[in-house]
Amino acid sequence: MSIAPSLHRSRKFRNALMMGLSMGAAGIGLAWLALILGALVWKGGTGLALSVFTEMTPPPGDSGGLLNAIAGSVVMTAIAVVVGTPVGILAGTYMAEYGRFSKLTVLVRFINDILLSAPSIVVGLFIYEIMVRTMGHFSALAGAFALAILVVPVVVRTTEDMLNLVPNALREAGTAIGAPRWIVIRSVAYRAARSGIVTGILLAIARISGETAPLLFTALNNQFWSSDLNAPMASLPVTIYQFALSPYEEWQQLAWTGALLITLAVLALSIFARSLTGRREDK
Amino acid sequence: MSEHIVTSFDDDLREVGKLIREMGGLAGSMVNGATMALLSADIALAHRVVSDDAVMDASQRELDERAISLIARRQPMADDLRAVVGAIRMAGDLERIGDLAKNIAKRVEAIGHDAVPRDLSHSIEAMAGLVLGQVHGVVDVYGERDAEGVALLRDEDERIDVKYTSVFRELLTYMMEDPRNITACTHLLFCAKNLERIGDHVTNIAENAYYVLTGQQLPATRPKSDETAQPAA
Amino acid sequence: MTQMVSLDKIMPQTTAGKTKIEVKGLNFYYGESKALKNISLALPERSVTAFIGPSGCGKSTLLRVFNRIYELYPKQRADGEVLLDGENILGRGQDLNLLRTRIGMVFQKPTPFPMSIHENIAFGVRLYEKLSKSEMDGRVEQALRRAALWEEVKDKLDASGLSLSGGQQQRLCIARTVAVKPEVILLDEPASALDPLSTAKIEELIDELKSDYTIVIVTHNMQQAARVSSNTAFMYLGELIEFDRTEKIFTAPAEKRTQDYITGRFG
Repeated sequence: MSIAPSLHRSRKFRNALMMGLSMGAAGIGLAWLALILGALVWKGGTGLALSVFTEMTPPPGDSGGLLNAIAGSVVMTAIAVVVGTPVGILAGTYMAEYGRFSKLTVLVRFINDILLSAPSIVVGLFIYEIMVRTMGHFSALAGAFALAILVVPVVVRTTEDMLNLVPNALREAGTAIGAPRWIVIRSVAYRAARSGIVTGILLAIARISGETAPLLFTALNNQFWSSDLNAPMASLPVTIYQFALSPYEEWQQLAWTGALLITLAVLALSIFARSLTGRREDK
Repeated sequence: MSEHIVTSFDDDLREVGKLIREMGGLAGSMVNGATMALLSADIALAHRVVSDDAVMDASQRELDERAISLIARRQPMADDLRAVVGAIRMAGDLERIGDLAKNIAKRVEAIGHDAVPRDLSHSIEAMAGLVLGQVHGVVDVYGERDAEGVALLRDEDERIDVKYTSVFRELLTYMMEDPRNITACTHLLFCAKNLERIGDHVTNIAENAYYVLTGQQLPATRPKSDETAQPAA
Repeated sequence: MTQMVSLDKIMPQTTAGKTKIEVKGLNFYYGESKALKNISLALPERSVTAFIGPSGCGKSTLLRVFNRIYELYPKQRADGEVLLDGENILGRGQDLNLLRTRIGMVFQKPTPFPMSIHENIAFGVRLYEKLSKSEMDGRVEQALRRAALWEEVKDKLDASGLSLSGGQQQRLCIARTVAVKPEVILLDEPASALDPLSTAKIEELIDELKSDYTIVIVTHNMQQAARVSSNTAFMYLGELIEFDRTEKIFTAPAEKRTQDYITGRFG
C-alpha cells in the first residue's frame, strides 16, 4: 500500500484541530460549572452552621436559620412526588406497553413533551387560577400540586423510555410461558426497567427541588414554622429568591447558604441516579 | 446443475469427479492391456499393466483424501453428498478392477506362448470385449449423468455371466482332451473369473452411479439370465 | 405449486404415530403483505420437526402462529386452521394464556427474566399451580435436571438468571419452559447465539426431550436440522416447498429448490 504523505499529514492536522476545539468547548462548559460551584462554596460555605438547620428564618437584621424553608421544601417535594409519580408511571406504562401502537400514545407523548419544556411559571399560574383563587388563599398543597405537575412529564418520559428499552424478546418470553399481560408488565418489564424508572423519579425530584417560579403564586412563603398544608409554607427556593433580593446582609448570607444546600442536594441526587443507571449497564 | 454460492466448493467437487474419470479411463486401459497381453502373449505389455496398478492405487488414495477433506470442510448435502460418497465407493471398485487386471497380466508369463488354443482365445477375447465395453460404458454414461443408461448398463452384466459360463465349460473340455493343457487352462480359468468379477465391479459402480444420480437405489435383484430381454427397472 | 399441496407433503409417508399439530390452509399477514401462503402440514407427536429455509421464508412466522405469540402485535393476523389435538387454536374462543401453557417457546436469544434462577422457573409454574414451598423446590430441581443445568446451578439458585453464561441462560429458558409441563415445545433458533459446545448441549437436550414432547425447531443451521430432527420442512418465500423425513430431505430431496438450498446453490 502506498501512502500519500500529504494526505496523511493534512488528516492528522484536521484531527488535532477538531480535537482541540472539542476539548476547548468541554473546558469552557466545565469552567462555568466550576466557577458557579466555587462561588457557592465560597459565599455559602461561610454561613454554613448548625443554626441554619435548627432556627427559623429571621426577621431583617436578626440572625437565624432556614429550618422552616428546608422543611417546607421537603414536605412539598414529597407530596409532589407521591402525587405525581404514580400518574407518571401509569401513563408511561400505558404508552410503552398497552398503547404502544396506538395513536393516543403519539398524542400523549407530544403533549407530554410540551409539558416537559413548559416554563414552570406557567404551571404556577395555572395552579394559582384553579386552586389559589378558588380556595381564596395560598397554600402548601397548591405548591405541592404545582410541583406534581412538573414531576409527571419527567416520570412519564423516563418510564416510557425505560420500558421501551426492555427487549421485546423478554416480553415475548413472559407471554410464551402463559403469563397474562399485566403479570408480564409487573414481574418482567418493571423489573427489567426498575433502576431506570427510579432514576427518572430521582431526576424529577432534583428538578422540582430547585423550582421557584411555580411556588411563588401557590405556596407563597412563610417566615415561620408551619405544618398546615392549607396555609402558605416556606420553601428554600422562594426564601433564597426573597432573601437574595433583600438589602439585609444576614438574609443575603442565608440565601447563599440555601443555594449551596440545594445545589448539594441536587448534586447528590444526580450522582445517586447516575450510579443506579451505571450499575444497570454493568450487567 | 447450477453453481454453488461458494465457488471453491464447485472446484473441489470437479476435482473429485475428474479423478474418478481418470481412474475409469485407467481401469479401461488396464483391462484392455491385460487381455491384449494375454491373447498375444505380450509380456512387455503385461508388465506395463502391472506397473499401472501402482498409479491406480495412488489415485484411489488421493481421491479418498480429497473426498474426506471435502466432507469435513464443506459438509455436502443431498446430491453433493451422494456424489462424494458415491465417488469413494466407485474408486474402491475401480481400484479392485485394476487389481484384477493386474492379476490377469501376471498370468501372461505363466501361460506361455502357444498354450492358448485359437477357439478358446476367441471366446476369451469376446468375453473381454464385453467387459471392456462395460468398463468404458459405465464411465461414459455416468459422465453424461444418464441414470437410465446406468440402469441399462447394469443389466448388461448378465451377458458377461452367460459368457463366463460358456468359457468355463470350454476350458473344462480342453483340459479333459489333453491334461497337458491343465496348467495353462487353469490360469485362463482364473483370467476368465477375473473378467467376470470385473463385470461385477462395473455392476457395483453402475448401482452407485444410479444412486448418486437419482437418490434412489436400484432394485436389489437383477433380471435372471433367462429374462435378459426385460427392460431395465 | 402453492395451490396443489400433494398428500405426501402434508405428512411424511413413513412417520408413524399420531398427529399433534395439523396445519390446514394457513395464511399469515403482516399488515398487507402475505408471509405464509396456504401452508398445510402435520407434525407427528413426540418427535422433532425442523423448519429450514432462507431468512424471510416464513419459518419463524409459522412457529409463532402455533402459540399465537404474534397477537402481541397489531396488524398481524392468520387465517386457516391450526389443529392442536384436533382442536382449532386459531378459533375465537381460544384462551391464549392457557394455550401458551400447552405450547411453550424458547427464543433465539436467551431471555432469562430479571430475577433469580429459582424464580425464573417458579414464575411460570406459580401462574397456574398452587404448590407448597417444598413442592416448588422439587419442581424447580426437576426442571433444571431435565435441562441438564442442575449440577451447574444447584449451589446458586438465588443468583440472578442474568449471571449465567449464554449457554446456561438458554438451558435455563428451556428448564423454565419444561417446568410448566407443556405438550409442545417451540424452539426458535435456540442455539444460533451459542458456541459449539453449548449448541451440542442444547442438541443433546432436544434429543432427550423428544420422548416426552412434540418439538418444533426453526434453525438456520442445516446440519443442526439434520442432526436433531426426524422430519424437516423446507420453506421458501412463504411457501412450504417440501416436507419429508429428515434423511430424505438431506440425501435425496424431491424438489429442486430444496436441493439447491441445502447444497448451497441458491442464487
